[in-house]
Amino acid sequence: MSRVMMQRKDKPKPPSAALKTLWRANIDDHIIQLAWSPDGKMLAAAGVSGPIMLFNGVDGVVRHTLPGHTLDTMAISWHRDSGTLASVGQDGKVRLWDTETGAQTAELPGGGSWVERVAFNPTSDELVSAAGRKLRLWNTGGDLIREYPDANSTITDIKWRHDGQQFAISAYNGVVQYDPIQPEPLRRFQWQGSTLTLEWSPDGRYIATGDQDSTVHFWITETGQDLQMWGYETKVLELAWSCNSRYLATGGGTQVVIWDCSGKGPAGTKPIMLEGHQHLIKHLKFQRNGMLLASGGNDGMVGIWRVERKKSALLTSATFKDPIAGITWSPDDRCVAVTDEIGTVAVALL
Amino acid sequence: MMNATETRVPVTVLTGFLGSGKTTLLNRILTENHGKKIAVIENEFGEVGIDNDLVIGAEEEIFEMNNGCICCTVRGDLIRILGHLMKRRDKFDYIIIETTGMADPGPVAQTFYVDDEMQQKLKLDAIVTVVDAKHIWEHIDDAHNASDEAQEQVAFADVILLNKTDLVSPDDLDRLEARIKSMNSLAKIYRTRDAVVEMDKILNVGGFNLDRALEVDPKFMEPEYPFEWSGLYHLPAGRYEWVMGEGPDPVMGMALLPLPNTGMAAREAALMDAVLTFAEAEQPVQPGEPLPVGKGQHNQLVLNERGETIFQIVIEQPGDYLLFTEHHPDEFDAHLCSADAVLEPLATREYKPDHEHDEEVTSVGITIPGDLNLEKLNGWLSQLLRVHGQDIFRMKGVLSVRGWEERFVFQGVHMLFDGRPDRPWGVELRHNKMIFIGRNLDRSALEGGFRACLAS
Repeated sequence: MSRVMMQRKDKPKPPSAALKTLWRANIDDHIIQLAWSPDGKMLAAAGVSGPIMLFNGVDGVVRHTLPGHTLDTMAISWHRDSGTLASVGQDGKVRLWDTETGAQTAELPGGGSWVERVAFNPTSDELVSAAGRKLRLWNTGGDLIREYPDANSTITDIKWRHDGQQFAISAYNGVVQYDPIQPEPLRRFQWQGSTLTLEWSPDGRYIATGDQDSTVHFWITETGQDLQMWGYETKVLELAWSCNSRYLATGGGTQVVIWDCSGKGPAGTKPIMLEGHQHLIKHLKFQRNGMLLASGGNDGMVGIWRVERKKSALLTSATFKDPIAGITWSPDDRCVAVTDEIGTVAVALL
Repeated sequence: MMNATETRVPVTVLTGFLGSGKTTLLNRILTENHGKKIAVIENEFGEVGIDNDLVIGAEEEIFEMNNGCICCTVRGDLIRILGHLMKRRDKFDYIIIETTGMADPGPVAQTFYVDDEMQQKLKLDAIVTVVDAKHIWEHIDDAHNASDEAQEQVAFADVILLNKTDLVSPDDLDRLEARIKSMNSLAKIYRTRDAVVEMDKILNVGGFNLDRALEVDPKFMEPEYPFEWSGLYHLPAGRYEWVMGEGPDPVMGMALLPLPNTGMAAREAALMDAVLTFAEAEQPVQPGEPLPVGKGQHNQLVLNERGETIFQIVIEQPGDYLLFTEHHPDEFDAHLCSADAVLEPLATREYKPDHEHDEEVTSVGITIPGDLNLEKLNGWLSQLLRVHGQDIFRMKGVLSVRGWEERFVFQGVHMLFDGRPDRPWGVELRHNKMIFIGRNLDRSALEGGFRACLAS
């Protein structure tokens, strides 16, 4: 009884946050990735047709338009000092750019015709690139430190652990965990299916994956145990951890599905479900240090949600005409940058 | 028939063995002035722009989905490449996927069913298979060289080009076309030289043309017969001999049925009688013994181990007779003789045999009138596919479901299928057509199962 009363009292409050647009730009291209520089001063927007725009974070003034890759650009990654941006593309190259001058500082062979993934170590000068099954480790100077033995199939994602001591790749057959100083993998987390993306929990305890077969896995890195989450509508490409490593928000459908890893979870628990999107959710990002979650969907809606076990709620939303193609929080968590499929780039203050 | 709101980009899958002329056809597509902006995914080199078009290299990566179910293998490389292609601003009007000669078309086709993104943005228009008319035999029928891939490429096709027609005789081509049709009755077959074909025969054909497939080739619905040959004879009363040489089998089935007249109707009636007769238990007839005549007399002729075997026939009622044989008489050098001469049949007919290629790829087409019960249909299909999904390569159907105003059209690849209502039946007679293409198909079981789904 009392519980019911409690719930009545606590019914969702009207949105208490609002989005105020700081600036807006239009690029006639599908932005494949939006990325804030770690110092928050610049927002990089990589267009699928090649060029990469560097915007002033505060006002949207274009600082540089980097030529990017003659054939499509596939991914970008910032160096921790914000002075270098790495990009990869379908010209088979890894390119490093001086973001102050806009000049290219290195052009490196990715090892295949499509270089699809690139990731700077968040704590050092190391950079990992993936082209097909080729995995290469570089330094900021453009020297090849190591080429790892080929992966079993095309590498779909690379992510560094938050302390920069390890990284992991995903491919068909699961996840492979590496220590950058060793040529051989540390551990393989095997799954007979195509793993599309991975995210380390900030505390390094879990590697979560999203899979083509509409599953989400929690790999416990310590033991190699696999917790499988079934029942998604479609393949899962959207994963976001909360900063405290408690919640993993996942897409793979029209509802945001959030797993709670506290206590005995997430195995055997009922996830938190957030409803509000009309079509598939395509992007999910938690704040870096706060508990707000941003979601973007094929319905063009961007939602900002407060995530709590008992009273998660949609705080505010905005709607674009086209499906959302990317979302990212500024490093200070105060702004959210959004792009849609026709190349609108908008930065809003929360 | 095409949905007016269709915004999905059509995809053609091009298959064919090395040397079939597949690449010639691809080059033709790319150079022909068809006003389309085409992206080609092939296996050989990296990304190259050719005028408006784009060629992207792919490395075949076959992934099993659903934890190892072989029917749910897909091409991971295609999901990635196509997904990326859909993001480009310079949108393509058309996508062609060229597979390697040895590629199994199954995973390619299945890729369009298992992934939502693919289903939303792309539409598998047709699988086009180029066949080398001279060398295909060794890949489909030669016991030593036959390959599953070649058979499957033929079985999966919506359109088949019998290419290099200049290298084979017209008779051989007819024979090949008949053989290909027995494997895949649904495909449109074109004879080509240097892969010259009109573009609208292979691009934007809108794979779902079951009606057309059935109308163009009504013979395909013809049942298979338990005999291969019949001959029409006019026999005055008297004694005759049926003389046979050595042949591929030590025994042969045979029936001799009287005809009231030689008209078409009488012959068709006799044909049905023959089917019933061959369904009776065989009655062995030893060399030299008299051969029983008439409906219900299914004779099994037992041949001498060596040399000729002669069977006696006594005709009491003079008139026209149809003689049915399990195998073609030529295989045994067999003939009917009167007291003083070898008799030539007044007419002959050959039938599609049903017993020859048990292990092989065939098509089964079923048409039944009436309305189906959707629940029964779902139950039957899911059971059927669970057990035989690996052997059923493709299925297509236009169905009349009780309570639905629209025709229900569906197609499937192995265990995956996609069905949707299309246009209303209107004045058209409601009926159900279904076609299966696959290995080891049991026509009577399929027909029985399908019939049992009728709403009572």
